[in-house]
Amino acid sequence: MSTTSEPGRQQTGEVDILEELKAELAQDLDEERPPHAGPLAQVAAGLVTLALGLAGTVLSLGYGLGSLTEPGPGLWPFAVAVAVTALSLAQIAFGRSAQDTEQFTRSSVLTGLGVLSLVGLAALLPVIGFEVPSLVLMVVWLRFLGGESWRMTAVVSVVTVAAFYALFVLALSIPLPRLI
Amino acid sequence: MTILVGYLDTPEGRAALDAGIAEARLREQPLVVVNSPRRGAPVDDAMLGPEQVSEIVDRASDLGVRVEVRQPLHGDSLADTLESVAREVDASLVVIGLRHRSPVGKLILGSTAQRILLDASVPVLAVKASG
Amino acid sequence: MDFTPIIDGFGIVLQPTNLLYCLVGVVIGMLIGVLPGLGPAATIAILLPITYGIEPVSAIIMLAGIFYGAQYGGTITSVLLRLPGEASSVVTVFDGFAMAKQGRAGAALGIAAIGSFIGGTVSIIGLSVLAPVVAGYALDFGPPEYAALGLLGVLLVSTVGNGGKLKAIIAAAIGLLIATVGRDSFTGAERFTFGNLNLADGIDFVPIAMGLFGLGEILYNLEENHKKVHAPAKVTKVWPSRQDLSDSKGAIARGSGIGFGLGVLPGGGAVLSSLVAYAVEKRRAKQPERFGRGAIEGVAAPETANNAAATSSFIPLLTLGIPANATMALMFGALLIQGVQPGPQLVDTHPDIFWGVINSMYIGNILLLIMSIPMVGVFVRILKVRPAILAPITALITMLGVYTVNNSVFDIYLVIVFGVIGYLMKKFGFDPGPMVLAFVLGTLIESSARQSLLIFGGDPTGFLTRPISGTILAAIVAVAIFPLVRRAIRAKRGEPAGAPAPTEASPAPVPDRETTEAK
Repeated sequence: MSTTSEPGRQQTGEVDILEELKAELAQDLDEERPPHAGPLAQVAAGLVTLALGLAGTVLSLGYGLGSLTEPGPGLWPFAVAVAVTALSLAQIAFGRSAQDTEQFTRSSVLTGLGVLSLVGLAALLPVIGFEVPSLVLMVVWLRFLGGESWRMTAVVSVVTVAAFYALFVLALSIPLPRLI
Repeated sequence: MTILVGYLDTPEGRAALDAGIAEARLREQPLVVVNSPRRGAPVDDAMLGPEQVSEIVDRASDLGVRVEVRQPLHGDSLADTLESVAREVDASLVVIGLRHRSPVGKLILGSTAQRILLDASVPVLAVKASG
Repeated sequence: MDFTPIIDGFGIVLQPTNLLYCLVGVVIGMLIGVLPGLGPAATIAILLPITYGIEPVSAIIMLAGIFYGAQYGGTITSVLLRLPGEASSVVTVFDGFAMAKQGRAGAALGIAAIGSFIGGTVSIIGLSVLAPVVAGYALDFGPPEYAALGLLGVLLVSTVGNGGKLKAIIAAAIGLLIATVGRDSFTGAERFTFGNLNLADGIDFVPIAMGLFGLGEILYNLEENHKKVHAPAKVTKVWPSRQDLSDSKGAIARGSGIGFGLGVLPGGGAVLSSLVAYAVEKRRAKQPERFGRGAIEGVAAPETANNAAATSSFIPLLTLGIPANATMALMFGALLIQGVQPGPQLVDTHPDIFWGVINSMYIGNILLLIMSIPMVGVFVRILKVRPAILAPITALITMLGVYTVNNSVFDIYLVIVFGVIGYLMKKFGFDPGPMVLAFVLGTLIESSARQSLLIFGGDPTGFLTRPISGTILAAIVAVAIFPLVRRAIRAKRGEPAGAPAPTEASPAPVPDRETTEAK
């Protein structure tokens, strides 16, 4: 560990360079990212985790804390949930100015559609097998989320589903629910 | 009014650029060179590097033609992107390069040139690579 | 030292199937390293279901190959496109891209590959020597030590990770909370199950990892349709010249040491070591202004260090059973899936896995050197593949893959839920890494803490009076309060940086202090 033997003062110098580097990098990468979402999102994030912490605290109290000699099932979750609560409060109080969030943009709708198509796959899979839902998923993602041409969409989705069929059903004989 | 050239770094593209420069000098109109890579992948063969762009600019300027190089990304249809740029810069003429394709190749890949020829609202000059 | 198991380990690696898995792993690693988007953690998460079907040794050899292969691949886009494929290659961008602009892309890639190879190999040798020794010491660890060590690991990973520290710690704490879902192993009481039978046995590691890392990343990438497109770059003459080699000799040597050292530390890992290695070279240089303008040391040092760190980060996992970073948490999970409990006893109970994995890295590094020098053109070509085409394929692999684990549709829904959570976490600036790591360690920390309380007869001061756990706890306190102390000192002096490290306030070993300092 070559860095440990160096005197403290030099280490400080190194830290300066490191922080410069990080700032430079952050600036570099910022160009590629959507604008940050502002203090409201920070508070909202804190509120969500706060709610989790509070719910955890209340529920774990219900499970019984026991004593230190005989810890109950709720003791550890209680400790963790209290920590979540306290940290969330700190986040709400001090984290407002941070710029590490991203705004939802119009393309966030794509993600929403993507999730819906996944839920659709999960719902249809046990009913009609994996082939048709997989094909639909591929088409939705390629054509509507990815903006590929119909021709490309058809080729890629059919080949992919065929490859999955060959791999899962024919080669590995994994019991996927299937139509054929 | 401008002359618009669809440019790729291929023999057909260079032929189109030459024809575009000639037309621009003839009509005394500025030239707009459109080099449009496909959106999505980190790297696209169609994309020109900064050196290639300045090469084009230098060559046209040497011949006394005012030139602007645009590199808009295109999605599914290059023809649409070209058409919208043509409207935006008020093109009087669109110059494109034509490549010889076998019938099968055309069936699989479609023909961007054909769509441009059919859809364009202004005259289109289609040139073939010399030699 | 008995060398038989090491030699047996080579025998295991050289079996054709294991060689094949090693090759598959490093090729996948190299590919996803080149492609911006999916990182090694996401890829390993998505491929977890595959490991059910294959031998434990082969599975871990493959996953390890993905991990260190990605370190090689990440360099290529940093140098050619100024677009780091992996976080650990971010700093390579400065000098790598500058070199590429001067027409020396080949030399930059060549030196990075050679440095990675040397750093990786040095680190494996260190791993071979050090790991059994550490494991030997760790055999004496009892529950109090494990509880403290687990907590320290979670805390360090959170404070050294990307993004806000506070949010990372919140994410980690929630990870600990998720780990408690299900039946309590001591009392049998059900916790946070809400009467759902699917939750009674706790939440499986696989859907959590696949959701938070894999699907979360896929969903996040769906939005990014507006990335820049680059012109294809030409790579010629990948061999660096004699001059290049002698210029970067020192950088590679120091990079190996820094990478090995920081990789061992929880949370240190590849990203931090690449930054530190770069900073060290810049400080040592006679003309620091050359850096950022195509100094070959600026490529050699971080690339050597990130590979060395990737390798040495296996030490805590293989010897203590404590994963040092998010990717190692996935390895931990993969081992558990195979019914192998990582820890100090691993070297004795499963010498095949222990030495098989370590020795496979020698082979993997040779394969990577071969792939990244003559075959670099092949890997550059995959940058022309559109992510829109890969996204649904990876999504489908994830969905069907998780189903095959338990033939359970419930697991698919779980992955979707955690995928959405992972996506939202990314949008709101939470790093999912600490959460997964904390989830993996949660059960260990809780059960060791409760066993310790039983040992101590309910007296929590017992943690402090045992020398090892006491030291670790002191380190935890140091890690927790150090940033506050430093901020206070800075505020007092009214200067932005340069506050000397308060050595007396921190009983933690020096490297720990450095890790926190570097943030």
